[in-house]
Amino acid sequence: MNETRHTYQAMFLLENQEVRQKGFNAVRDGVRQTLEKHGITVRVLRLWGERAMAYRIGGRRRATYVLGWLEASGTAVNEAKRELYLVGPAFRCLFLREEQIPADELALGILAIGDNEVVIPDDNATDLDEPAPEPEQDPADELDAVGIGREEHRRG
Amino acid sequence: MAKKESRRFDYKDVEGLQVYMSSHHMMLPAKRSGLNAREQRMLKRALKQARFLALLPYTV
Repeated sequence: MNETRHTYQAMFLLENQEVRQKGFNAVRDGVRQTLEKHGITVRVLRLWGERAMAYRIGGRRRATYVLGWLEASGTAVNEAKRELYLVGPAFRCLFLREEQIPADELALGILAIGDNEVVIPDDNATDLDEPAPEPEQDPADELDAVGIGREEHRRG
Repeated sequence: MAKKESRRFDYKDVEGLQVYMSSHHMMLPAKRSGLNAREQRMLKRALKQARFLALLPYTV
């Protein structure tokens, strides 16, 4: 039976430990192979971000988010999701039906990035780090910046 | 009369969704959010998707 294919937007949460060990491109290719094994056409698969999660999932505090745009049948999506959960590397994924793939996303395609471009901090790191305080500045330096010399400032 | 363009809600726009959440991370009622019924339903859907992906917490 010929099943109807639809366009889907998908978000995958990948294990940071695995991304750190194997590299982002290898893990992303693993997801892609799993999807393609079930007859899904992967149009876009790109890094969306690495961030702290709002709550812990299976002891994990952070995850690497990968965004994908796919063409698949409903059955294929269910089968791929089951395999991703069982085998990995994704521990959570969301598939949403969409009308079409946006042109700006389609232009990105399956983007290869350098493994050292994906910086994965320690699992306990939070995104709520306070910014470093501004260094104290000599008022004369500020005047230098607007074109008044140090000597003139001291003379008053 | 020109038709008012309805707002779009996306689960990836975390900061945009947080505007419509209380301090306890609960969705604001339509009376306080100022959205119409259709927009409120779209917000609900986006919020639940963001919570599932751990972009937003369920409750505090």
